Amino acid sequence: MTVLEQRRGAVPPALRPVPRRGREKWRNRLTVLAFMSPWLVGLTVFFVYPAIATLFYSFTNFDLIDDPTWAGLKNYTFMLSSDPLLWQSIGNTVWLTIAITVGRVAFGLIAAVVLVRLRRGAGLFRTLFYIPALAPPVAASLAFVFILNPATGPVNQFLQLFGIQGPLWFNDPNFAKPSLAVMGLWTSGTVIVIFLASLLDVPGELYEAASLDGASGWQQFWRITVPSISPVLTFAIVNSIIIGLQYFTEAVVAGAVASGSSQVAGSSQNIGYPDNSTLTFPMWLYDQAFHQFHMGYASAMAIVLFIVSGVFTVVLVRRLRSAGIGEEE
Amino acid sequence: MTAAVQIPVRAPRTKDYRRSRLLAWIGLHVVAVAFSIAFLAPIVFIVLTALMTDKQALTQDLWPRTWEWSNFAAVFKAAPLLQYFLNSLLYAVLSTVLMLLSSIPVAYALSKLKWRGREVMFYGVIVTMLLPPQVIAIPIYVLWAHLGLTGTLWPLIVPNLFGDAFSIFLMRQFFITIPQSYSDSARVDGASELQILRRVIVPMGKPGIAAAALFSFLNAWNDYFGPLLYTGENQANWTLSVGLASFHSVHQVEWNLTMAATVLVMLPVIVLFFFAQKQFIEGIKFSGVKG
Amino acid sequence: MKQRAIVAVLAAAVTVPLTLAGCTGLGSKSAGPASAPTSTQKVTLTVWSAFSDRELKGLGDAMDGFHKLHPNITINNVGNQDDNKITQSIRGGTAPDVAISFSTDDIGQYCGSGAFQDLSGYISRDKVDLTKIPQATRDYSSYKGKRCAMPLLADVYGLYYNKAMFAKAGITSPPKTMSEFAADAKKLTQYNADGSIKVAGYVPTPGFYENTVQALSPQFGATWEDGRGKSAVATSQGWKDMLQWQRSQMTAMGVDKLAKFTAKAGQEYSADNAFETGKVAMIIDGEYRTAFIKAEHPGLDYATAPFPVADRDPSRYGTAYTTGTIVGIPKGAKNAGAAWQLIDYLSTQTKPLVQLANLLGNVPSSTDALGSPDLQQPAQFDTFLKLYGGGKLENNPPSPNGGAYIKVMEDFDLKYASGGTSDLTGGLQSAAKQIDASNALGQ
Repeated sequence: MTVLEQRRGAVPPALRPVPRRGREKWRNRLTVLAFMSPWLVGLTVFFVYPAIATLFYSFTNFDLIDDPTWAGLKNYTFMLSSDPLLWQSIGNTVWLTIAITVGRVAFGLIAAVVLVRLRRGAGLFRTLFYIPALAPPVAASLAFVFILNPATGPVNQFLQLFGIQGPLWFNDPNFAKPSLAVMGLWTSGTVIVIFLASLLDVPGELYEAASLDGASGWQQFWRITVPSISPVLTFAIVNSIIIGLQYFTEAVVAGAVASGSSQVAGSSQNIGYPDNSTLTFPMWLYDQAFHQFHMGYASAMAIVLFIVSGVFTVVLVRRLRSAGIGEEE
Repeated sequence: MTAAVQIPVRAPRTKDYRRSRLLAWIGLHVVAVAFSIAFLAPIVFIVLTALMTDKQALTQDLWPRTWEWSNFAAVFKAAPLLQYFLNSLLYAVLSTVLMLLSSIPVAYALSKLKWRGREVMFYGVIVTMLLPPQVIAIPIYVLWAHLGLTGTLWPLIVPNLFGDAFSIFLMRQFFITIPQSYSDSARVDGASELQILRRVIVPMGKPGIAAAALFSFLNAWNDYFGPLLYTGENQANWTLSVGLASFHSVHQVEWNLTMAATVLVMLPVIVLFFFAQKQFIEGIKFSGVKG
Repeated sequence: MKQRAIVAVLAAAVTVPLTLAGCTGLGSKSAGPASAPTSTQKVTLTVWSAFSDRELKGLGDAMDGFHKLHPNITINNVGNQDDNKITQSIRGGTAPDVAISFSTDDIGQYCGSGAFQDLSGYISRDKVDLTKIPQATRDYSSYKGKRCAMPLLADVYGLYYNKAMFAKAGITSPPKTMSEFAADAKKLTQYNADGSIKVAGYVPTPGFYENTVQALSPQFGATWEDGRGKSAVATSQGWKDMLQWQRSQMTAMGVDKLAKFTAKAGQEYSADNAFETGKVAMIIDGEYRTAFIKAEHPGLDYATAPFPVADRDPSRYGTAYTTGTIVGIPKGAKNAGAAWQLIDYLSTQTKPLVQLANLLGNVPSSTDALGSPDLQQPAQFDTFLKLYGGGKLENNPPSPNGGAYIKVMEDFDLKYASGGTSDLTGGLQSAAKQIDASNALGQ
């Protein structure tokens, strides 16, 4: 770090004419400002302003057509006392967040460990594992509703071969979320690639030394592999949590398609199908805001989501900070 | 756990050793192949279904009796897929171009220029990047509604003119690995910061820029929430994601057509991947490993 | 005081960018009826409806008659615009001049929020005689006395049954009570060798096609609201009867088997409709199905009858759910004056109403048109004309947040009927609570 520090100065001091220093400072400031200006505008218009406005709207009745009127804490008290679907949507989001995080990280790790051990053909297998992650979420959801279709889907047919009566998957409130979680595993290629890259960075000598000490494969995994890739592991976990908190597209599309409704996906009539078991917090927020015209209430929900995801964001940023990511390398 | 197949290095090279090594090799490949099948089977199923007649797609058959290649033409009649495709393309290409114009200088300022508040600003980028889009969707929607631009894709494209957090993050991570000495020597030669950016950083940071461009493109291509929110009422501006999600509500029993449309939506992305596999993988590593 | 300061600060923070954006309220407050364009003024009216194909063309034909009367007004007839798109366009300020909605569920929202403009100014100015529209239809096209839409055509729901299958099963007359209906459904259901359903006598799954809580509840005497505007779903005995009946039907046929059967059933508004293809023997559906059958499966041997009623009170036979297509001027419409002229023409003139009713197979919504000799419909249609004139029509009440209360009941109905819970009383109570709370939220 210190070596780099010395290298960093814009121009070696000796080359810089001293009298022009003041002007140059201003020039530098203006350069930074000019380079940063798109983002400064973006941050203000698309982040700071909406955040403040959301907070304001959350204390109002606002249907988007008439101007907002002050409502005090009404939206918040309604949220806490009278909206059972809110709690159900929170439950669903928590369920999906945990399942997707645990599933993707565990499965990604297993797949990456397999890949790292394959000396030849690792590249090919990596490509095969990664391809599903490319599928647009809407396409992946349609594909999964089809292959898990209780009447015609190949999965239940496959289970039938072993005499197992397959569940109704997306048509059963108890299996709809697990179906989404399975889909999350299918598209976990990104996590696999990240884990694989970081496993390849683990020095081979560590394993050799451990083998010499008689450590079993399992011990080696916990004592060497996991600690060595722990930064990436944390990143993947927190990142999965944040993705889980935003879970929207797959649940909307899968619910709509599985319901067999002739209503377009995303309409109030088929979200959360079956029995609101796939209704996530962002979906309920979207429905309240843009279908039921409860902009004020939806804003209050947005504030809650903001706080919860803010906690995880802070965790991740602190993690990144301690890894020195904000510093110059 | 597959890690258990790890074999002790110091074991003597006996027959037993060779056999256990062979077993491990087989075990490993069996697992890898099994995973590959699990990953690829859904794709194979949907492609096969896309080639069936609508009657057969409703049966439990896995293999098409007749190969209905015409399904892929039929979906274009069943829905304005070409229009959706062009809309997706417009959204993805314009977003990417605008993102590059606005975000490269920001990533440069955050990685190669020294100024007070830089670190704070960088964390600001990360925070914005991680925030769920639904949190701030309402006021932004109101803003665009006042400007009369709802029903179009512009509310999704224009913000890219003001920098995209993830792209800035990714490119900044890449730029920072470019040795300072290159820009220093350019500076000694009297180059302005803009010239350094254009002549040194952009050429050297190409892999990072390419990865950011790819992800920006994919992000727009795969986006569903944005187009649903802004173009829902105006079918002429629907993207492939929105069009595909609604396709099934009209063609419920025509799973063959639904799957053909699904395949067609996946195809461009997979083709793109094979052309730019290296950038993809590098980009993913950069967003995760170095983070 | 402190609160006011906070409001002021927040309001300033919010309104500053909004003022920069040009204005502070979406659309202008409607200030009385807009005048019609002069005959030399060229106007293009954009009309949105969820019609497609055959029906969209029919609407276009009817509007051609208006264009002949007003050559200066051109009509842009846009189809496939369902309620979601209409609400989305209104909140986004890109609304059409005239919006036609199939569902009256959203009328409360449209009227209450001002999303649809108040038409009473136009009605009194042009002296439109509303008494020519039956009371039930007038009810579902207004909200709390505020008329923000006109009925275009009405839908009435009844029983459709496959005559060939009835004959085969030895059933001679359509069922009149729910127990007769259940017995017939059982006779009509056929199973495959593997136990799966081949032909369903009736699909009791809530939400399957028009087997909705709105359409079915009148048959059980289930009411949505008590006299004070509160939800009655927990107190009205009809709901308990209906849900228990549905549950027993679903249990008898098998929840899993039904799910697999409906997963393969064709799209409702297509030639694959399971009733039209002979996979279902009896359905509840609107009169418009006759037109679909005529166009898609003219050979289908079917008949219609009033839908059966609960055994509790057989004298209710002849009760029918009604809803209809409504037409209004959304907030933000560019040519409100001309839009009203078109709405007036479409909804009160006998000629376009009969023309549309014939083309769409709907019930015309004015008494004049109802008796018009030009009305040409298949014999099966008579049932619906009689039901419409029979005075036993029921409709679900408008609510300020649209169909949100319906979704609450739909969800619970499906859950209870498919065995997801056994607590009927508790479930209905919490549904009622939820409906009331949600209605209070927007006010």
